[in-house]
Amino acid sequence: MSLPLYYYLAITAIYILMSWSIYIPYRVGQLHFMTVANMAISSYFAALMAINFAWPFWLVLIVGTLLGALIGFLVSVAIGDAPCFAVVIVGFTFIYLTKTIIENVEAFGGPLGIFSIPKVLQTSSDNRTLLLIVAYALVLLTGFLISRFDHSRLGRAASAIFIDRDLAVSFGVDVKKLGMFLQTWASAVGGMSGVMYAFIMRSISPNHFTFHLIGVCMTMLFVGGYTTLWGALLAAPILWGFPLILPEALQSWNIVIYGVLLIVVLVIKPEGIITRPTVKKIESLLSRNRKKV
Amino acid sequence: MEILIAQIFNGLSIGSIYVLLVTGFNLLLLVAMIIHFSFPVVVVFSMYISWFVMTLTGSVALGVAGGIASAVVVNVITAPMFQHIMRERGSVDINATMVISMGMGMIITDILSHTFNQGFPIAFPDALTGNDQGALISVGLVSISRGQVLTLIVGIIFVAFLFWLLYKTRAGRAFRAIAEDPNGAKLVGIPLLKTGFQSYALTGILGGVTAVLMAVLLGSASAGLGDQLGHKVLAVSIIAGLGNLTGGLIIGLLLGILEAIIQGYLAGSWSNAIAFIVMLVVILAKPKGVFGSKL
Repeated sequence: MSLPLYYYLAITAIYILMSWSIYIPYRVGQLHFMTVANMAISSYFAALMAINFAWPFWLVLIVGTLLGALIGFLVSVAIGDAPCFAVVIVGFTFIYLTKTIIENVEAFGGPLGIFSIPKVLQTSSDNRTLLLIVAYALVLLTGFLISRFDHSRLGRAASAIFIDRDLAVSFGVDVKKLGMFLQTWASAVGGMSGVMYAFIMRSISPNHFTFHLIGVCMTMLFVGGYTTLWGALLAAPILWGFPLILPEALQSWNIVIYGVLLIVVLVIKPEGIITRPTVKKIESLLSRNRKKV
Repeated sequence: MEILIAQIFNGLSIGSIYVLLVTGFNLLLLVAMIIHFSFPVVVVFSMYISWFVMTLTGSVALGVAGGIASAVVVNVITAPMFQHIMRERGSVDINATMVISMGMGMIITDILSHTFNQGFPIAFPDALTGNDQGALISVGLVSISRGQVLTLIVGIIFVAFLFWLLYKTRAGRAFRAIAEDPNGAKLVGIPLLKTGFQSYALTGILGGVTAVLMAVLLGSASAGLGDQLGHKVLAVSIIAGLGNLTGGLIIGLLLGILEAIIQGYLAGSWSNAIAFIVMLVVILAKPKGVFGSKL
């Protein structure tokens, strides 16, 4: 596999996971950008453990994910049922603080970051294949879990909170507990993406985990459609891929293109391109075909 | 003690900038009913336009006029976009306006970091900042610049004007009526969209004046400044209670003073981090605001 294709596929998987990490808490109407901070923390954790203590990849992946979940849980105790804007600002603050600490502490490599993160397998091609398989296995696993959640009682409770919080409370939905659960889960996904990112890129710097990343993931989620998990899944490969085939002069303007797309889609189709009725329509079409067979 | 006094004065002038930004943000929130997260990004854009006109023409007056005009133009041009969303308020929630505003911020910040001054930070001429004339008042370690005094005075006058407009005039009463109860305001014949549109123009002027004051006080700007200010303004607004104008005034000034005092005793990036930690602790402890939300 060529190197550009490998990076395209691998980074697409990361973007899908990160967009989903924003999708999960947005089920109850919270924009939890904290997951970008979780990604940064876990990727630095992964890099330091792998370089300094020669921790194996699998151990780092599990502990990095748990670290994300733990931080997410601790923060969610305070903001599990907070208004969306408070959650947004807590996320931004954590990103800013993480970045400041990374840039100013020598052990984290300062503004330059950390290089030469070890390979998981000795040969480069084996290493790439393994990482791709793991990345997409994680995408499948997370997608499966989100799908199970969306079709469960909890998923319906989350939709109720999104539409009318007061009504959901009067039906007996525990907004705080559900918010805490979703934030913790999202942070775990953020942490997991961070570990994968560190091993895929093999070098990390604080500049990777900024508002820029939030902008890209948010565009993928809102352009694709924030009401189903399919939106981010389909938007991530396209949105991440198309600037790569643009002429070089236009490539550096990708953020402007994302911004314009985000605004245009939200104005024209506020729920994004793939909505629940779209998914239902496709499902019914597929089931009709199946019956014919 | 002298450092403390100097830093408190410094903090008051930075704080008055925050107050202006938070007031503009809150006005849009209350009257136009949008979360304009990127309002400070528009202000930084105006700083860049102001700098561009000054470098092109060499005239400070034209630069100031250009800066104010650009903020009004950006606000008014983007108003129909937000109003389109607000017309479908039944199906679209206020979060959508924040996401659109963030998209706008992404575009503006990226344009600023690509085009003006080849993406490098810009520095304003001494004719505007008055830095070449030295301090206005200098007693021992305490030195107060012209920029600080000007920012504080204009900040106070402008905020006083806004409060007068909101609480003593007919137009202000319409603004507050919409903020209090949009449906009730509609029933008594207040045109929601038109009044909302006026609030965009008003906050445009406010943003433009803030941009000029920031240029005078800071003397420079970079593309990333807008994001950082957007973050602080939203934080101040949440800590004060979303839409709470008086609360925004108090918390804005307090943040300015806190930052300045920390800066007096600590190195650059850490001082900002401490201010953020303080804000974080307050938000975690009181996510619905200290003075109560008016939303």
